[in-house]
Amino acid sequence: MTLFGNPWLHGFIMGVIVLSGAMGVAAYAVWFERKFAARMQNRPGPTEVGYAGLLQPIADLLKLMQKEHLVPFSADRPLFNLAPVLVVIAPLATLAVIPFGPGWVGSDPSIGLLFALALSSLMVIPIWMAGWASNNKYALLGAMRAAAQAISYEIPLLLAALVPIILSGSFRIGDIVAAQEGGQWFALWPPGPGFLAFVLFFLTSLAESNRIPFDIPEAESELVAGVTTEYSGMIFGLIYLAEYLHTFIASALAALLFLGGWQGPGPDGIHWMMLKTVLIFATIFWIRWSWLRYRADQLMSICWKIFLPLGLVLVMASAIWVHLR
Amino acid sequence: MLEWIAFVVLGATLLTAGWKVVTSRDLVHSVLWLGLTLAATAGLFVTLHAEFLAAVQILLYTGGVVTLMIFGIMLTRRLSSVHIEHGSTSRARAFALALAALALVVFGVSEASRVGYEVGGSDAGSSGLGDTQALGSMVLRDLVLPFEVLSILLLAAMIGAIVLARKVDP
Repeated sequence: MTLFGNPWLHGFIMGVIVLSGAMGVAAYAVWFERKFAARMQNRPGPTEVGYAGLLQPIADLLKLMQKEHLVPFSADRPLFNLAPVLVVIAPLATLAVIPFGPGWVGSDPSIGLLFALALSSLMVIPIWMAGWASNNKYALLGAMRAAAQAISYEIPLLLAALVPIILSGSFRIGDIVAAQEGGQWFALWPPGPGFLAFVLFFLTSLAESNRIPFDIPEAESELVAGVTTEYSGMIFGLIYLAEYLHTFIASALAALLFLGGWQGPGPDGIHWMMLKTVLIFATIFWIRWSWLRYRADQLMSICWKIFLPLGLVLVMASAIWVHLR
Repeated sequence: MLEWIAFVVLGATLLTAGWKVVTSRDLVHSVLWLGLTLAATAGLFVTLHAEFLAAVQILLYTGGVVTLMIFGIMLTRRLSSVHIEHGSTSRARAFALALAALALVVFGVSEASRVGYEVGGSDAGSSGLGDTQALGSMVLRDLVLPFEVLSILLLAAMIGAIVLARKVDP
């Protein structure tokens, strides 16, 4: 399953392709989101830099890089500077096991899905670190909300991811995609648990990547900018980048686990995978600009009283389905 | 050769981070060093071909337990102070306990190699420990009784914690 004979060469070339692709996606996701939001609010969005504002992300990047790197006087300096770097590492490492097409994967280990979920559960530690090290009350409140949210929503997320694992009998993402061959996408088949698990996975992914309606760690209308309040320049850009990367990975995982990955009507291939990922990605923005934010206590009661029991029932239902099949 | 380099780098990280866990004066730094210690342990599991164990280690310990500890710090302290100092007063006792734990590990490993498990062998994957399916059927078929007893123990601990933390009804 390697495109290039030598595994070292394969790893290197795939690494360069996937990482630069993901960086490009993250940069243009910002442009896409601004345009999308603008059109939803009946205004044009960025238009000045390049055709239809297409060079805007590059201009923003140059601006961020020129800005001064400020560290607050009372901050915990080593932690403050280390946190944004660590925030980016987890999603970048996750990209190694995300297949984008047959053979288009850095590595497809037998525990691929578990590896991806484990790394995404690590994201909260550097985010909390950033908030704590800032020594700012808004940042600290954001950090505390991030920790509470991550530890709660991880459980229904894992339960939702267990459904395709049980249905396909493998942790390997390639096997899970192969098990959905012939249009038997897990979101459609088996009817019931598959679709509900897809919805549950999508919603808990929103919470894990701190997107509206679950973005209380940032909550710009109440907490200034949450954990990123004290960050400036490119080091702020890193946290921002990690958030977009995380959302992109969550969309890719949802497409792989529930929508048949790179399979589709007509020829299979990377184009189907990209189309599904981008559609889920766009849906996340769509929700962001049309929904309200939940309160912290509502967030917890949704998680523990609705999502968790639903996840347990779905796992049982899919186990019974596999048993009876 | 490559595995040897990985082992040395991970081992050095593990020892340094573990040392910093006990010597850091700042409680938050200790917890974060502990996170690095647990992640490096997961790395060692990978070099021993126990990928499932490594992923579970990251998911439960680094992602779960460290987050819980962070949450504990946030709930017990005032939000305004960054530095929470802590120190150890009983170094002699700690040293004795560490020695005892080391002796236990050495005994366990030597006993395991005596009865036939190859420790750190490169074929651990084929002998079943790295294989998720074999691990699952071992835990849920051959060892299902101790597994269930353990879960009852955890349930009892959880109920106990709720009872202790709950305010008495008037």
